[in-house]
Amino acid sequence: MEGEATKGVLSVLSRLEMQARSRKAKPPQQQNSVKELKSTIDALITQRDQLKAQIETQMCVQKLRAAMDKQGAHEADEEMDDGSENSKLLRLMARHAQLKDLLHAHHLIGGYDIVKTCQGKGVCVSLATGYEGVYLDTYNLEIDLKETLRIGRHNIPPFIPVNSLAEQSNMQTDIRAFLGALSQHLNAFAGRKQQVKLVKELHKSVEVLETNALCSILVLLLTVPREKIAVLCTLDYADHTRCLPTRVCIECEDKELPGSPHWKNNITLLKETPVHKALITMKKMGYIV
Amino acid sequence: MSLLKPFSKLPGLNAANILLVENEEQLQQRLADALVEETAVTVNVRLAKTLPLPLKNEKSRPRIDLVVFIINLTSELSLQSAEASLKYLDPGYFLGKVCLLVTNARNASVPPARLDTVRKLAASLHCPLLCAEDQTPDGVTNAAERLLTILKVAAGLVPMTTALYLSNLTRCTVPSDIDQQGFD
Amino acid sequence: MDDSTKRLLQQLVRRIPTQMLKTTLEKWGRLTTEQQKSLDFTQPKWVLTENLLAFCEENGWTTKHITELEMIYVTDSPNQGMWYAFQLLDPEDDAPSVELTQFKEQFKIHLTELIRHVSIKIKKHTDEAVWIRIAWGDSFSRPNHLKPTYVVHHLQTPYVFMSSVTRKQKPLLSQALVLATRYTAIKDAHLSGRKLTAIRDVVMKQYQQVFPTKYPSPLLEQNQTASNPLIKREQAESSENRHQMACEAFGYGMVPQLQTAVYKLETKFRGITNKTMTERGEPIRCVVKFTSTNLLESFRNCASSGIASTPVTPLLSSITQKGRNFFVITDNGRGPS
Repeated sequence: MEGEATKGVLSVLSRLEMQARSRKAKPPQQQNSVKELKSTIDALITQRDQLKAQIETQMCVQKLRAAMDKQGAHEADEEMDDGSENSKLLRLMARHAQLKDLLHAHHLIGGYDIVKTCQGKGVCVSLATGYEGVYLDTYNLEIDLKETLRIGRHNIPPFIPVNSLAEQSNMQTDIRAFLGALSQHLNAFAGRKQQVKLVKELHKSVEVLETNALCSILVLLLTVPREKIAVLCTLDYADHTRCLPTRVCIECEDKELPGSPHWKNNITLLKETPVHKALITMKKMGYIV
Repeated sequence: MSLLKPFSKLPGLNAANILLVENEEQLQQRLADALVEETAVTVNVRLAKTLPLPLKNEKSRPRIDLVVFIINLTSELSLQSAEASLKYLDPGYFLGKVCLLVTNARNASVPPARLDTVRKLAASLHCPLLCAEDQTPDGVTNAAERLLTILKVAAGLVPMTTALYLSNLTRCTVPSDIDQQGFD
Repeated sequence: MDDSTKRLLQQLVRRIPTQMLKTTLEKWGRLTTEQQKSLDFTQPKWVLTENLLAFCEENGWTTKHITELEMIYVTDSPNQGMWYAFQLLDPEDDAPSVELTQFKEQFKIHLTELIRHVSIKIKKHTDEAVWIRIAWGDSFSRPNHLKPTYVVHHLQTPYVFMSSVTRKQKPLLSQALVLATRYTAIKDAHLSGRKLTAIRDVVMKQYQQVFPTKYPSPLLEQNQTASNPLIKREQAESSENRHQMACEAFGYGMVPQLQTAVYKLETKFRGITNKTMTERGEPIRCVVKFTSTNLLESFRNCASSGIASTPVTPLLSSITQKGRNFFVITDNGRGPS
């Protein structure tokens, strides 16, 4: 009580007054808090019910999905005999989820994304490219949906023949074939470009003498270790839908060398494996520096 | 067409809300940054290009205490846009809760008649007309300070005065020299 | 060493800015180390020219050497002069497999067949572009090296860029190009400008383009920078929308620097207010020309700030989409042709 004595009478009185007041105020507060708690209980109960209902629908949808995945959508349809509004909705939800997952899977394996543009008057397709598990550039293509499909804006480089691909694969009737062919061209181009990049990065001793925008020609200067002979290696990628050369040509001062069995093997190696990997193998075997 | 109303919502505690309308969106951001520096009251700033304001923000929007139209005098479009936007204000705003802010008034490329048009407009709306220097940071803070003074009154944060009372003192009147120029 | 070589060297040194002169000469590599050291690049241009002329005499440089130097300078500063884009049409089956040596050979053969007195120099630049320098002569005179034509072509692409070609030379050059690239025709792409890189980027689509996607775009993220919670934009969505549309039409980030866009209008006058004009038989012609140091940037700013309406009119978005900046609009109502 010593502390209080030093504080003075007035402060003690005011403290007592505060205590008294808080005691007075308590009963209504309790009532209030009871009311509040009750309302929270109500809210929680409704929330629980909602969540339960959600779980139920989810379970139903999942069951339906499983059935659909197993037997195909049609049979699952037949299984649902009661044609009530609710089950129809559930079926639609299941189908929607299935399609969404398919689309997602399609995107994951390098498929194209399609987005509606201009209030549904057009679509924008994005084609992702990749090589050896590395995502490379993404290309976009806008297609106007009128009576006839028309290619609009795009960022595909001009050396990829978009228009002639559209004609060849009958874009008007079969857009998937067109997108498939285009994607093949783009992926092959991206792959070749990446190969050139890898050759430049990984093989400092190999000189890239010539390449072009389409990466359809690659001229390399190789050196044979002991004799220090320069070998000119020309890779011709005439098939623009592939990342492997169609023709490999070896030129050298030593006329014997291109005809030797080792180098014949090397040529087939270059034809069958990506160039940067083939060069690694050749280096290991000691054919080049 | 939805009118912006001055008294349709309850005011916030120790808060003042200002709406800056500018077609070019050049000055408003810098002005807003200067306005929120104020510490005595909480200043909420809303920025708009034109009126009417989008309906979907209606709920989250606080009561607007002062509407400022920023007019760049070098651009005819700026003036036209402000004139068009004025139509979407409730008449209640014109009792001291609207303010015109003019920039580039001293620019040589401004036709002199345009400033007169703005002055006449301000006079007919019974609202003050401020001129601001928008190129320098000092000019922007100055403009913000002047707006804050009006805003505090308009938001009812200054005892013993009201927006209507202040507007009687600050509103723009058509000076006689406009007509005299024509006369000469 | 003759007079014309001297004049060529003089003219060239005058053209090369002093700060570039040293690196250009080093790249050229025709000066001996002592000569290189003796040159003081702080001296005025005319002194340097005198020195170089003396070296020229000493080393016995010919016109061929000087043109080498010129090509180094021109390829290093591609944004000078006026460049015009041309488009090659209807490729033959073997067009995609034309390679550099073949192209060089064919081009030289075909052009010299058409005109006897011509000097051609072809060099491949690091960015996979083939640079061709042509000095023209006529049937009685030797090639004039003072006014060469430059042509830039990226192999396997259907575009050719030319600078300083006269009307007389153009058909000859076009024919040689078409034959060498294994295409069947060539046409004016109606795209021109002072910057070769900009024109190339437009036709090759080498600038950042924006497309609608499902995923949050960098544009949106950029706008959502942490701003003061007390400041709120009422029309943020529509301004973002405008920004997106503007970027879709004109590109994102650094856009190619075009200087002009010209629209030629040929139409019948319509309007009841002016009778004499309406009754006139012939169409009215007018030309609208936009100029700016960076036209696409200006257009993008106009559209994103709301001064120009969005979506952007096809007349303007055609500049990037079709890769041209000269349009003729006629009355058949089919839009820009």
